[in-house]
Amino acid sequence: MTAAIAVQGLSHRYGGVQAVDGIDFQVAAGEIFGLLGPNGAGKTTTLESILGLIVPDEGRIEIAGIDARTNSRAARERTGAVLQATGLQDKITPREALDLFAAFYPAPLKTQDLLTRFGLVEKADAAFETLSGGQKQRLALALAFVGNPQVLVLDEPTTGLDPQIRREVQDHIRALKDDGRAILLATHDMDEAARLCDRVAIIAGGRIAATGAPRQLMTEHGGTLDDVILRLARP
Amino acid sequence: MTALLHLTAVSLKLNFRNRMAILYGYLMPLIFLVAFWAIYRNDPVPLALHVGQFLTVTILGSACFGLPTTIVSERERGVWRRYALMPAARWVFALSILLARAVLLVTGALLQLGLAFAFGLPVPAHPADLFAAFAIASAAFLGFGMVIAMLVDNVPAVQALGQCIFLPMLMIGGVAVRLESLPAWAQHLSAFFPGRYAVEAMQRAATGAGGMRFDFLALLLIAVGGAMAATAMFRWDKALRPKRGWLLLAVGMWLAVGVMAEIQGRVTISTAQDRRDVGTAADYVAKPRTSPAPKTSWQDVSDADIDGVAFDRLPPDEGIISPVSRSDEVPDPAIQPTLDKIRDALPGWAPGNVTDPVQRARNLLAIAAAPDILQMEQVERFVPRLVFARLQTVIPPRDLPKILYWIAMHPDDGDDAAIHQLAAFGLPDISGSAKPVRGRVMLYAFKLLGRLSGHLPPR
Repeated sequence: MTAAIAVQGLSHRYGGVQAVDGIDFQVAAGEIFGLLGPNGAGKTTTLESILGLIVPDEGRIEIAGIDARTNSRAARERTGAVLQATGLQDKITPREALDLFAAFYPAPLKTQDLLTRFGLVEKADAAFETLSGGQKQRLALALAFVGNPQVLVLDEPTTGLDPQIRREVQDHIRALKDDGRAILLATHDMDEAARLCDRVAIIAGGRIAATGAPRQLMTEHGGTLDDVILRLARP
Repeated sequence: MTALLHLTAVSLKLNFRNRMAILYGYLMPLIFLVAFWAIYRNDPVPLALHVGQFLTVTILGSACFGLPTTIVSERERGVWRRYALMPAARWVFALSILLARAVLLVTGALLQLGLAFAFGLPVPAHPADLFAAFAIASAAFLGFGMVIAMLVDNVPAVQALGQCIFLPMLMIGGVAVRLESLPAWAQHLSAFFPGRYAVEAMQRAATGAGGMRFDFLALLLIAVGGAMAATAMFRWDKALRPKRGWLLLAVGMWLAVGVMAEIQGRVTISTAQDRRDVGTAADYVAKPRTSPAPKTSWQDVSDADIDGVAFDRLPPDEGIISPVSRSDEVPDPAIQPTLDKIRDALPGWAPGNVTDPVQRARNLLAIAAAPDILQMEQVERFVPRLVFARLQTVIPPRDLPKILYWIAMHPDDGDDAAIHQLAAFGLPDISGSAKPVRGRVMLYAFKLLGRLSGHLPPR
């Protein structure tokens, strides 16, 4: 069976810094795969390479069997993403944003269904600037989902949210997994990783130091996921 | 195509929800229009000679501020980084924002024209040409608006760089300040700014003067240069560095156009002494070797007296003080009816037919002086020729040089009631002191005298 995401030999340098150095992993449909590691480990470079925001020096990336580097448009049609440092215009409403994003995909989901699914019906016609942090994040997830993607790439989707809202967003992510999507999740929240991820890869110095189920890694290396990362990321 | 239209529609919708965008897009152009109308309120046809200017200001403001501010603020907040994840080519996003801006520009210009019509602006002579000129000028200006957007990282930088282009273009680029009012160096410099060509193209289309080919070519080259540079410099994210080398292409096209204009002799320069004081009659007479006996009548004026005038000290005909058109110069069609009216009214104007030939000539010269005082663009250059022709008709040739000399040397003599009787020519009344008019009468008397006596070339 073809992996929903397949990354092989991914490498990228920024000037003299080797940000990512020969990374390989695969994510199956219906699986949440976590990328864990300290700041500067190479998580964001990996995600941005998969999404086509940067062109890696080497490596092969496939999304649902499509070469993302040579057929990026087809790959993007099958990928939804929530990235850090992205936003929307202050005056746009969730309904308008969803309608707009839907216009880019061949078979988008219905705006009203997405508003209902992500709990945004009451705020459907409110300006983006008036939404709470949780509502904004739910809208970001809805926008990532609008093209009915097979793959979701989420970069720290719950950072900065209060515990209740964080739990809400995590429930949505789990529901998306149950829906058969492959989810690649980068996070600094080890509780979140332990709760959501089927498998995780610990990245250190641009390489994968360990891969496995969170419980398996904790058993093998001892301690919590934080302890595992600290141990494996030690220079 | 659906995505492009949807994105364009959303861009427009968001623009209309932004008060500052409305202010920049619609209110500022109207304020500029009212300013032009107020400054040139004495023009014979309201705003007809300034269509190119006020439309260019609208496009320029949009290119220097509106467009780049929108793009840069969206890029700063990560909207464009989000767009980068969509399954669409980047030109879709760039084109949508340009289309939205074009709609805003056209509606802003229509609003301006609507108000201008209310002020009395006639319907443009060639609306299709005007639209074409507006479109190509918009392409040229929005091209470098995109370059600004790709070059800078934040909105304050847009304002700073935008002002660096906007203000010089207004002041010395021929957009807000008349080129004839500028010193020679600035007029040469204006040939390197697209504003000059935008003003000329739209003005000529509005009044039907024609001859826009070079302006169109210049704007097209600038548009192509800007578009290519902006495409190469495009960036979704401010974290990415722009390829600044491409800036040379955009700026290089401005330079190339300026060089072409200079080589082809399209930059007509007026000399730089336009703003000097008119002075007194003594300023225009060479110092005599011996003190001549004082003249008591214009009939005593001799050829030697006329030869003693320093015609080379007179303000240049191309300047803004006592200008005179060239004999082969064709007036803009917008002012032709005004000139026709003046010419037709001259024979029946009572002050131009009084018995005293000196007062008759003085009165007629006041008709040339008034538009100059009122800074009536173009009209002021062509009226003197009508007056000169009339003077040669109503005053015998042997007397005219003597009378002109007499008037020039005695500008404060005679009656000045005629300067308040110019309504017959459609000219506004001149309020306040008559002294400035008398000064201009003196200069025009000297200028016609110089032509009649062969001291000045006929041009």
